Amino acid sequence: MIWLSWRQFRVQAVVAGAALVVVAIALLATGPHLASLFDSNGLPTCRTTCSADASNFINQLKGSATELIFYGSTFLLYAVPGLIGIFWGAPLVARELESGTFRLAWNQSVPRARWIAVKLGLVGLAAMATTGLLSLMTSWWASPIYHAAQKAGPNSLSIVDKIAPPLFGATGIAPVGYAAFAFALGVTAGVLIRRTIPAMAVTLVIFAAVQVVMPLLIQPHLIPPVQLTAPFNANTANEIMVDSRGSGPPTMTVVGNLSKPGAWTLSNQTITPSGKVFAGPAASACTSNSAPPQACNNWLNTLHLRQLISYQPASRYWPMQWLELAIYLVLAASLSLLCIWQVRRRRG
Amino acid sequence: MVWLTWRQFRWQAGAAAALLAVVAIVLGVTGPGLVTRYDQIGLPSCHTACTALASQYINELEFTTYGKLFYAGLVVMYLVPALIGIFWGAPLISRELETGTFRLAWNQSVTRTRWTLGKLSLIGLASVATAGLLSLAISWWASPIDHALSYGQSGSHFLRLSPLVFGARGVAPLGYAVFAFALGVTAGVLIRRAVPAMAVTLVVFAAVQILMATLVQPHLIPPVQTTAPFNASTANEVVITSSGSGPLTMILKGNFSMPGAWILSNQTIAPSGRVFDGPPGRACTANLPQQDCNNWLNSLHLRQLISYQPASRFWPLQFAETGVYLVLAAGLGALCTWQIRRRRA
Repeated sequence: MIWLSWRQFRVQAVVAGAALVVVAIALLATGPHLASLFDSNGLPTCRTTCSADASNFINQLKGSATELIFYGSTFLLYAVPGLIGIFWGAPLVARELESGTFRLAWNQSVPRARWIAVKLGLVGLAAMATTGLLSLMTSWWASPIYHAAQKAGPNSLSIVDKIAPPLFGATGIAPVGYAAFAFALGVTAGVLIRRTIPAMAVTLVIFAAVQVVMPLLIQPHLIPPVQLTAPFNANTANEIMVDSRGSGPPTMTVVGNLSKPGAWTLSNQTITPSGKVFAGPAASACTSNSAPPQACNNWLNTLHLRQLISYQPASRYWPMQWLELAIYLVLAASLSLLCIWQVRRRRG
Repeated sequence: MVWLTWRQFRWQAGAAAALLAVVAIVLGVTGPGLVTRYDQIGLPSCHTACTALASQYINELEFTTYGKLFYAGLVVMYLVPALIGIFWGAPLISRELETGTFRLAWNQSVTRTRWTLGKLSLIGLASVATAGLLSLAISWWASPIDHALSYGQSGSHFLRLSPLVFGARGVAPLGYAVFAFALGVTAGVLIRRAVPAMAVTLVVFAAVQILMATLVQPHLIPPVQTTAPFNASTANEVVITSSGSGPLTMILKGNFSMPGAWILSNQTIAPSGRVFDGPPGRACTANLPQQDCNNWLNSLHLRQLISYQPASRFWPLQFAETGVYLVLAAGLGALCTWQIRRRRA
């Protein structure tokens, strides 16, 4: 059964190997430059200037080819599980059903359950290994960027926060779970639809839908987020906006500053002492053109507003990764069991 | 031929219509918010503070749903031509060959050439329509963001002219879709098996897209070259690097501000004509204030040599790009037709 699986999987394995080699060459060619840029900004030995040096480093990368490779590798880690599901998963059983070769394959001395279980297991492991290697390579390549983000502290660009989507699903071990799930989804679609190309299309659509829904609805609540209340200080606020286009009195939107480097902010609301979200109306200190900006800040500070923040701290990155992996592996296992049951009960 | 093509294309057309509907709903719901904020922040009527206002607008959007939709729009516009090539192009002929139904299809009163050309042109038109409608919708939705970005730094990867966004706006996606479709059909005819043809289409299309963006796009229209004196005080970048134990080198990039332009190269050259790369003088390596280093650099009479595409060339470049891809697609279509005619049986 192992030899048979390998024999029918050869071409895909070679393609995967070649793709990994190409990516490895691209990353090896550019990795040292990134590391030397990290060093030349003084980041390994910085003491007091870490924040400024790190911001400097990350700003130097903007507009460079390194930035493109960073986005490209993130995109690749979302695309590869999908491609595995489409090209390895969907044709696995569907091709046998479509071309009629299942009549030969399922009437051997190897029982059907063993046939499908070994194929699922071996190719599934290959899928997880491919994606795992890819994730490892890109993490190695991008480690200067993440080190700099850590050292930047409050000045860090949230675009490199590993704990928030989209980087959360493109780093660590989560992509391994995605690959296992996409593969199992593909095989299931093939078994149920019994035609290869429709199974590929359905796998693509469902996998894309799941990957969009998870970060929106499930990932924020993998571990119940931390809720924090802090007094609102207008002088350090992120945003104070007056909207005077409506017919009524001008409304305001204020967003306070949250200094939690690397955290994933889920919600940041400013509430009045009565508990409702503060929306104005704006006093003349904020709307009149002759008043200095400080007058508006002072007025806001007299209102005793509070910031209600809900966030995931950066330290929860690995626990959340393991939970995400577990969820996807459970889904993959359930789909695999469904496949095995379906293959066993087919007539003919 | 029209009815036959439709009959065999129903599902794919339905899937495309569903995708367009979903995209239209999402963009229609969120689009007006972008325009409202754009007007509210004062950008349509700005005179002097445009760059600051534009930066504020972009920063506000970057980490919200709007920013994520912007990136999603880019991803969708690049994926859709590839998906058209894989799911519409590759199986078109290869499934007939794989299942043997070509023996029926090619022995009708309709000649093979007419059969091929009919299918290629009708589904090719469908590809153009799908990609065109998507590009229209997404370009319309993103136009406030594109305008705001064009005020800012000329080096951003998200300018309309930069390779990352250029292929996701205007008419370029139409060219990509037709080319990907033709590539898929050709792969199917030559490989004669559906799933390998799909994989090959994907790989070749991705390779062509990357090669075009890096090698061909900058030179579709010869870029503009300008020279300016290098002023260290306003430079974008003054970096001293050392490669291990070797001598110190300097990397200088002068300031160049042309809103919306795509900068291809920005080199600082010495009076001798070679690129200036150091070594840095004492004024820069000793622990002296930056101004001393700047003064020393300014005394060297360096010049900036910049090669760029101005923002006004967006549409000429778009048409040139689409033209290249349409010619490639036509060539592939002719190859397919020739190959189908000469196959025995």
